[in-house]
Amino acid sequence: MRENLIAVKTISVIKKAFREYYFNQSKAIEEPLKMEQREFGYMHFGQAGMLRHLSFKSMKELDAVLVREAPSDVYCSNAYYRFPTQQPMQEKQWLGADLIFDIDGKDLGMPCVPSHSYSVCINCGYVSPPEQDEERSSYSCPSCTCKKADHVSIPCSKCIDGSKKEVRRLMDFLLADIGLEHNAINIYFSGNNGFHVHINDDACISLDPQARSDLVGYISGTGLMLESIGVRKTNTEDLFSIKFPKSGLTYGWRRRITEKLKIDMTSAIKLKNIVNQNGGYNAFKVELDTLAKHMGVRIDPQVTTDVHRVFRMPGTLNSKSGLSKTKSSDLYSFDPFVDACLLGDGKVSVRVKTPVKLKLKRNSFNISKESAEMPAYAAVYLMCKGLAEAY
Amino acid sequence: MSNLSSIRMAGSDLAKYPFLNEAGEYLRESSFGWEELDRPDMKYIIDRAAERIEMEVDGKIYDNLERYEIEILTFLISLVIIKSIGIDQVLRKFALAEARRAEKFLTEDLRKQSEIKRRSIFTKIFEDLFKLKIIISEDQRLFKVRVVDYLARASHFHEQEWKLINRLVHNGYVYLDADETVRLIRNELSVLIYDKVKGMTLPILPQGIKSKADQLRLKLISRYERRRSAAVTDYPPCIKHALEVMNRGDNLPHSARVMLATYMLAIGKPVDEIVLMFEKAPDFNEKITRYQVEHLAGMKGSHTKYSVPSCDKLRNENLCFATAECDGLINPVQFGRKKK
Repeated sequence: MRENLIAVKTISVIKKAFREYYFNQSKAIEEPLKMEQREFGYMHFGQAGMLRHLSFKSMKELDAVLVREAPSDVYCSNAYYRFPTQQPMQEKQWLGADLIFDIDGKDLGMPCVPSHSYSVCINCGYVSPPEQDEERSSYSCPSCTCKKADHVSIPCSKCIDGSKKEVRRLMDFLLADIGLEHNAINIYFSGNNGFHVHINDDACISLDPQARSDLVGYISGTGLMLESIGVRKTNTEDLFSIKFPKSGLTYGWRRRITEKLKIDMTSAIKLKNIVNQNGGYNAFKVELDTLAKHMGVRIDPQVTTDVHRVFRMPGTLNSKSGLSKTKSSDLYSFDPFVDACLLGDGKVSVRVKTPVKLKLKRNSFNISKESAEMPAYAAVYLMCKGLAEAY
Repeated sequence: MSNLSSIRMAGSDLAKYPFLNEAGEYLRESSFGWEELDRPDMKYIIDRAAERIEMEVDGKIYDNLERYEIEILTFLISLVIIKSIGIDQVLRKFALAEARRAEKFLTEDLRKQSEIKRRSIFTKIFEDLFKLKIIISEDQRLFKVRVVDYLARASHFHEQEWKLINRLVHNGYVYLDADETVRLIRNELSVLIYDKVKGMTLPILPQGIKSKADQLRLKLISRYERRRSAAVTDYPPCIKHALEVMNRGDNLPHSARVMLATYMLAIGKPVDEIVLMFEKAPDFNEKITRYQVEHLAGMKGSHTKYSVPSCDKLRNENLCFATAECDGLINPVQFGRKKK
């Protein structure tokens, strides 16, 4: 009973902060292009499921709902529909969809992650502090023995730098290979631990899921054939010959790989030796697959190929952190813990479940005591992560 | 577009590419009328048209070239006969073979013609008909198309070599040789011819054409009706296996579901019946299944009709359960047909 009351109080505090944000900072929410053709959706705190298939004719209409409902998360479709509110999906009449890439910090395998990851029991909310060697599969809550936990991370600057590096690699593919204009690429901090890269290019809007999937393969380095760099399999098992492609090796993946292997159109013998040193055609194929994967960008393939997805709306708050999905005009100087931390700084009392360190709006918090009073933006951040509750 | 319209096609071009708008203009300018088809000297052209259809329905390319006046009329009469036959599979086969015929000539032309000639014909055909802009590469050896234009077409090809990652890609363009560039629009050429026939309204046909069309119809209808019944009663082992798994209520992998649905569509099963086949799937949802089957049938989404995966592909996905009867097949839809 008491836990329930605390949970309700915690939600109420977070909701109040979110409502204040939507009331005071409605200008921060970006109006999507062709708003009337988009499907919108949002979620409520403490409730499963999303209210989808909504339509808003103007930002004013949307702002009013955000202030009234103070949703936990707000979404807008990448797709344009003739009838965005119709169901099932095929009745909406798809007209096209923005091309979007998702780089999620948790998929990058950063070595620092275990040192700032916490297990939050889904049953009682007990927080286990970071343990370097802990096997997640063997989790058992020390308080209630429940076997399931949410694993939450407080991304550090290294995590953010890792994601930024991935965004820069994506930019290289999009600019040099795919030929997009710089100003057609909009980079957003996701509001938690990653970046969404939105492409504003009319030609990309009509691409179907298969075309997007092919593009994902290109950017992530999947499916590169040895023949592309001139290693051709002969009919006999594992034998090969070298014949460079007519179109050359100067650009794109061919350039990336051949530079790495230090070969060019004159190095047929050298390439032959490289293949042989790697154990022949089949073994070299495995090697090349690994190399291409390593050189490719770690984007979430599902996100880019889905043309009916709803995405967090730029300028709205992420309920996993209380940070905002914020556009980054200069990736080098962008600091999500400053630039996307937009909640107020009125004092809030919280009970912190575990000792924790964080830095928001250039203020460092090193909390070791159970009860603390801190600015709303920091309190909400910890409550959204499940590491603190209203006191 | 204005500079495109100033390019005049030579007669020899119209002979090879009779689907171009100029061919229609030629007919209009020469005040051609249907009644002329009853003239005795038209018999040669009607016979040529029938020969062209028969060869092409058998999957061969009719590349016998005459003067353009004859070629344009032969093409027109072929379309009229195909429309009059009224069997969709015959039209599909004809449209594909016509596309391959044009593809063959285009590739040859590209290889041998001078740069200016090459550029004008190519630009015209690709941009006029398919809204595809082709640019000659900097070193004049290759052609380049925009990445998005490439993806919209090549991502539907099954071969790994067509994946974007296996292409030379730079600064928004994909570099292709002549054969590859033409291959890119084969499907669209075929759709263009298919749509031309679909959209035709037949006049009262002169006797010479009508009797030829009736003869061909009689010949082809038995072939196609027999094919349909043979395929429906006799499923290949891969399909039988998938149906067994499905009927047990076990979970069938996505790739097997695609195989099952595309196969059933290919043999002409109605969407309603196909949807019911998935009824026992543990995650069955009629609305979703219907949407997916309709999507595969080309009725939804990108309007691409998906073909049945090849035996090679099914083997790679561990969905092949070949028996001796499968010998020599490259696609499950051939099962039961080649047996006879």
